[in-house]
Amino acid sequence: MRCLLFELIIAICLIGCASEYAHLQKAPNDKDCPDRLLPLVIETSWYDASVDVMGKHISGLLLVKNMPDSSKRVVFTSEAGLTFFDFSFTKDGRFSVVSVIKQFDRKAVIQTLEKDFSLMLGLPFLNRGGERYTTGDDVYFAFKEKNGTAYFITNKDCASLQRLEWGDNGKRLVTVRTPGSVFPTPATIEVDHHTFKMSIKLTRIQKE
Amino acid sequence: MCKEPVIVCDLKKGWLILLVSAVFISATGYSQHQGYRPVGDLGAFERQFAAESSKIASIESTFTQEKVLTALTEKITSTGKFWFKRSNKVRIEYLKPYTYTMIMNGDKMLFRDDQKENMVNVRSNKLFQQINQIMIDCVQGTVLESKDFNVKVFEDEKTYLLEMDPTTRSLREFFSTIVLKVDKKDFAANSIEMNERSGDRTTILFKDKKLNAQFSDAVFAF
Repeated sequence: MRCLLFELIIAICLIGCASEYAHLQKAPNDKDCPDRLLPLVIETSWYDASVDVMGKHISGLLLVKNMPDSSKRVVFTSEAGLTFFDFSFTKDGRFSVVSVIKQFDRKAVIQTLEKDFSLMLGLPFLNRGGERYTTGDDVYFAFKEKNGTAYFITNKDCASLQRLEWGDNGKRLVTVRTPGSVFPTPATIEVDHHTFKMSIKLTRIQKE
Repeated sequence: MCKEPVIVCDLKKGWLILLVSAVFISATGYSQHQGYRPVGDLGAFERQFAAESSKIASIESTFTQEKVLTALTEKITSTGKFWFKRSNKVRIEYLKPYTYTMIMNGDKMLFRDDQKENMVNVRSNKLFQQINQIMIDCVQGTVLESKDFNVKVFEDEKTYLLEMDPTTRSLREFFSTIVLKVDKKDFAANSIEMNERSGDRTTILFKDKKLNAQFSDAVFAF
């Protein structure tokens, strides 16, 4: 009985501790697929934004703006107009804070948002040559970055993008989906964190 | 040439731009109000403003809000409905192109978006208390009594323009000035312009104003 319990604990631990990317099988590279779907671009748009972090809720408006110099700006304001933060990503993906109010000016907050928006804007996939893996009906293109691995996940025949993910040490950290819509004008963007409770939901605003 | 890490250099550059913009904005503050001249007898204006605006017990109106991101040459315009009832009840309801409602009633503020609603006790949050008070002061004509602002008053033929410079650190972090335009005919607010330190600005323009209209207190219920 004690032995069975021990085996059960080991089994639970193995399942729990198993890499979420362990089931991926290395496959020959396919340049055509990423060439067809990349680079990801979001057209300059305003989004109705809803952010939930550890039981706290904040809403506002998020602007994604493509600048003439090919950099991208992500600006979050309140519905009543006050600017909370303005982040910039250069065309090669370099991040900087243009402005941020005191309430958002925390290293952990800024780093988390930087990673989320960089994945959403497809910046880790700018350098082509991701390694290709398959599992079931999904094809993963893994792009190793300094602070984790960014996954670009398509269906089997590379007809459409399924989702984007950040992973690190075999753990899935963040998923970005655009349910029911596609780049460059996704009507909805959902960003979900898997290691702590945080989600961002963006709904494209049709300007009058 | 900045020898520090790139992000530090960029931040310094950003702050320098903000600083230069802030200085420029203050230096040009007066000339911004084209067509307006300073009010001669400020004491008389204060007395008249207090007397006339105290006659406004309620306001029901529509509004158009325009948020301008100056450096990005972007703007977003929204429209909605506005209700005020003396002495401390306000409801702002954004209807297009997004829906969002703010209700201020006494010490409580409610924020409702598509997903959730949040109730805040303004007494427990000084910033909310100040923002609540700005809106109330602007629409009920008590802004000249506010300790949160130094107010300069200008006029043209049809309107008074009140330029409000925040005096408290918490408000100065957000706003360089707030400009309130008041109709000389009835002393009701025509527009509120909130200027941020970055140069961004938000203007709320009130339209179809019904002063002292009868409507239920249920408008301000949570």
